Formats: sequence, C-alpha cells, structure tokens
Amino acid sequence: MTPDRYTCEEVLRRLDDFLDRELDGSEEKLVQEHIDTCANCLREYEFEKTVLQQVKAKVRRLSVPADLMRRIARAIEADSAGTDS
Amino acid sequence: MTAVRPETHDAKTFEALLQPVLRVAYGVALRLARNSSDAEDLVQEAALLAFRAFASFELGTNFKAWYMRILTNCYFAKYRRVKRGPEFVDLDDTPALYLMFQTAGAGLHTRGADPAGALLERMDSEQVAEAIAALPDEYRVVCALYFVDDLPYQDIAEIVGVPLGTVRSRLHRGRRMLQKALWHVAESHGIVTALTAAEN
Repeated sequence: MTPDRYTCEEVLRRLDDFLDRELDGSEEKLVQEHIDTCANCLREYEFEKTVLQQVKAKVRRLSVPADLMRRIARAIEADSAGTDS
Repeated sequence: MTAVRPETHDAKTFEALLQPVLRVAYGVALRLARNSSDAEDLVQEAALLAFRAFASFELGTNFKAWYMRILTNCYFAKYRRVKRGPEFVDLDDTPALYLMFQTAGAGLHTRGADPAGALLERMDSEQVAEAIAALPDEYRVVCALYFVDDLPYQDIAEIVGVPLGTVRSRLHRGRRMLQKALWHVAESHGIVTALTAAEN
C-alpha cells in the first residue's frame, strides 16, 4: 500500500531519483509534498541540486578540438580506400 | 513507384550523424581517458569502429546511444589503465549528504546563504575534473555520461550495457564518492581555508 506521506528518511532515500526526475508520479508527488513543508529536507534538496548543477556546468565547459571531425573524416576515407583496394 | 531512401550507409551519412554528438562524445571521452590526447584518440578510434559496423546500424534509431556504446566499449578494451586515477582518498562508503555535512562542519552554513554554490563556484573545471578522475572506472563511466549529457538512466543503461538498477546504484554511489573527492580537492587547493577565513 502506498503511504499518504513520507518521513524525512524516506525522502532522503529518494532524493537522487527525485533530483533526476526518475521517480514515478505518485512517489514524486509525495517527495514534493514533504519538501514543501519540511525546512530540513528542503535545505538538503537545494544543496544537492546546487552541487549537481555546478558540477554539470563545469564538466560541460569544454572545447572540442577544431580539427577532430576533419581527422575522423580523413581516417574514415583512408580506411574505406584500404578496404576497397 | 519505389520510394527513394533519403539516406544510405555511406561515409557522408555517418559523418552527418556523428557531427552533432561529437561534443558529448569528446566530453565523455575526456572524463574517461583523463587527458585530451587520449580522449581525441578514443573518439577517433570509436568513430572508425562505428563506421566499419555502420551497416548494422538501423538508420532512424538512436545513433548517439549506439556510438557512445562503441566508445565506452573501446575505452574498456584499449584505453583503460590498470592503475586508477589519483587515488588520494578512500571513496568507499561515503555517506549521503557528505558535502553538506563537511561544509556545515567547516562553519560555512552560518550565514544561511548558499554553501554548495560558494564552494563550487570557487572550483574551476580542472579541479572538478580532478575529482571525477578519482572515481573508480565503473562509477566514472556512468557519472561521465550523466554529467556531460542529460541522459535518462535507461539510456545510460543501454550505452554501458548493464541493467537499469545497476546504473541507478552506481550513479547514486558515484555521486556520493564524487562529493568526497570534491571536498578533498577543495581542501588540497586551499579553497576550504579561503572560504572559512572569509566567513570569520
């Protein structure tokens, strides 16, 4: 039977999935309802959300080498020529 | 009348499919191989392997997932180092909310502002990369796919070739480990000391 509310411990157990929107509808609703009324869990949620956002932003700050696609195309061309001959 | 297929399994089609996923591929490769030279080689070698197998790819399906699976397999087959990254700290059994407790213990919650933001804004991309590099391979792969691209767990499972539940547990545990590694990097670069001094 699905409970009609979650404890702090139950919310913490689901926090990662909640942050990634991987919970099913009813679980997500119960976590959201708890966070809306529990200052401690809200603080934990906000903290974890910030960590994820910051890490994602920094990991995505990268520049792909300008000639990488050209090098790949050349390698494919050379490979195809070798296969054809 | 026979319909003409708009695409065929030729090099031009392959390259047109690869181009839009190159950024994600290079980003993941960089987190796996840990340096740009090996990352470039990994992306290129995976591309060559993928092109050779391109005839088996069903046009119109998920090219990114297909290519990324080849790339991760290629990493495990050829680029994986026997030695792990900088093993500066034991990451096993890191508890939940590790960074939150560490920042609280260091007195960074006193103003009630944004301790996670304050800490991570002071860390640059290289320092975050240093922390990710410390994760064991099986955790680093799922974390790289997760952080570089917003892939759902199911897509990560298909790429890595493990069940959904395994992705979930590796990702959750990997994120905890990463928090410990981030804290260690922040401490070793003097970021924690600087933040603590600013609070007092």
